[in-house]
Amino acid sequence: MQPRPLALKILDFASVIVLGVATYLALVFAPTEAVMGQVQRVFYFHIGTAWVGLLGFILAAAAGIAYLVTKDMRWDRFEVAAVEVSTVFFFITIVLGSIWARPAWNTWWTWDPRLTTAAITELIYIAYFMLRQGIDDPEKRARFGAVYTLLGGVSAPITFMVIRLFRSIHPIVIGAANGTQEKMNMTSDMRVAFFFGLFAFTIIFIDMMWHRIRLGALEEKVEQLKLTVSM
Amino acid sequence: MFLETIPETSNYMIAGYAFAFVIMGIYVFSMYLRNANLKRDIETLESLQSEKSKRSSSSKKK
Amino acid sequence: MANKSESKKQKAESLHPSFFKATLAIIQKDLSAEFRSFELISAMLVFSLLVIIIFNFALELDIKVRQSVTSGVLWTTFAFAGTLGLNRSMSVEKDRGCMDGLLLAPVDRSVIYFGKAISNLIFMLIVEGIVLPVYSVLYNVNLFRFDLLGVILLGSIGYAAVGTLLSTMSAQTRTREVLLPILLFPVAMPVLLASVKASNGLLAGAEFAEVLTPINLLIVYDVIFIAIAFMVFDFVVEE
Repeated sequence: MQPRPLALKILDFASVIVLGVATYLALVFAPTEAVMGQVQRVFYFHIGTAWVGLLGFILAAAAGIAYLVTKDMRWDRFEVAAVEVSTVFFFITIVLGSIWARPAWNTWWTWDPRLTTAAITELIYIAYFMLRQGIDDPEKRARFGAVYTLLGGVSAPITFMVIRLFRSIHPIVIGAANGTQEKMNMTSDMRVAFFFGLFAFTIIFIDMMWHRIRLGALEEKVEQLKLTVSM
Repeated sequence: MFLETIPETSNYMIAGYAFAFVIMGIYVFSMYLRNANLKRDIETLESLQSEKSKRSSSSKKK
Repeated sequence: MANKSESKKQKAESLHPSFFKATLAIIQKDLSAEFRSFELISAMLVFSLLVIIIFNFALELDIKVRQSVTSGVLWTTFAFAGTLGLNRSMSVEKDRGCMDGLLLAPVDRSVIYFGKAISNLIFMLIVEGIVLPVYSVLYNVNLFRFDLLGVILLGSIGYAAVGTLLSTMSAQTRTREVLLPILLFPVAMPVLLASVKASNGLLAGAEFAEVLTPINLLIVYDVIFIAIAFMVFDFVVEE
């Protein structure tokens, strides 16, 4: 395997730096929120990880379509990387949300549309990996994986819309709030921490994706070598 | 909520950040491990392959 | 479909039957195989009744509880029985080598999809058609209302549409039967939830206009997923 390209080395370095800065902004720079207290600071990472989790989900579905059209294995590696990295970030999002919910709503979990959709999305990811594990032929594995990410990518928004018919208490962070839901009021310092968090996690996400894609290339090489040796 | 004092919820915050960093750390470490394992696999397989090609060139029978 | 005046096309027609005819042939094949043994339907039916009995005691279905959980119990039963049927109908094709025969037939691959999906849907509807009156008798509720039956039909269509596609995939994996519900349930979640929501509203005596939103979502889901399955089915049967 080739050594890390310079751009990736720079990206690694940048990821560590932005993660540090984002942590500083969230924990020290941003003012303590009056209603929630310290735990509100969890929210900066919650939003950041949620954003990249969603980004990865959309990228995976797009890569699935691209694979089905081009049949290029590189899209498959991209798709696996997107799904895996966003599984990790989505998991962090869900647990951070849960930690926030405990003092805020006095419960670890509610069946709110965003929470439930996030949990179902995580289950789709897990099903995706189980599906891939059950198939030996790499080409077939890629095809089935692409079809499944496409199905998941379409069904998750509909799930969200359906669950919204039931009820919601999740605060709306961006955009208009209706009467029943509370809207978060952010001071300008909070906004800085908020948007920097989004930026930082985007960088970290790209970095992790890149590493995971390289790992996928290595996996493929091992599979091919195993085939030639056993022949 | 009309609380005069800010509620004390630092423990939750610490738990949350600790969790986020631990999970990210575990993931990065797992990638490192997988990477190392795959590299070792490649080395073994390549040495097997070269051995095999040597054997097949020295004698026609397997 | 083809222009009948041209004999050449007619000849081609006899070799390449029209989409509609070919689909019908697959459905006919599935139904006649099933009506000879009733393997699949009887398994689904017995399973459904057992699930209802378990629910009866697990939830203590007295008259008050019953009103709020009837639609949930019914849809859970249909979903479980549905997976049973979908698994069976695909693994039969796979085990007896019928799938290869179907793939060799000079028809469009999507014909196979529609044929299998419609016969799966028919099996589900037959089972539902028996479970509903039994449930009505057991719990003294009238489930035979056109609006409710419409919701059940829409939900079953969506479930069979996705289920057929995913069972074709899961039948080709190592874990097979175990994998189908894991793949199917998270993706079919909107169908199940919207159906439960709509049926619940109808059973609680809501106006049809009040449950229009979940019903619209059901229709949207059905249309989108039939279209996607139609487009990607080629990719899951390719060898």
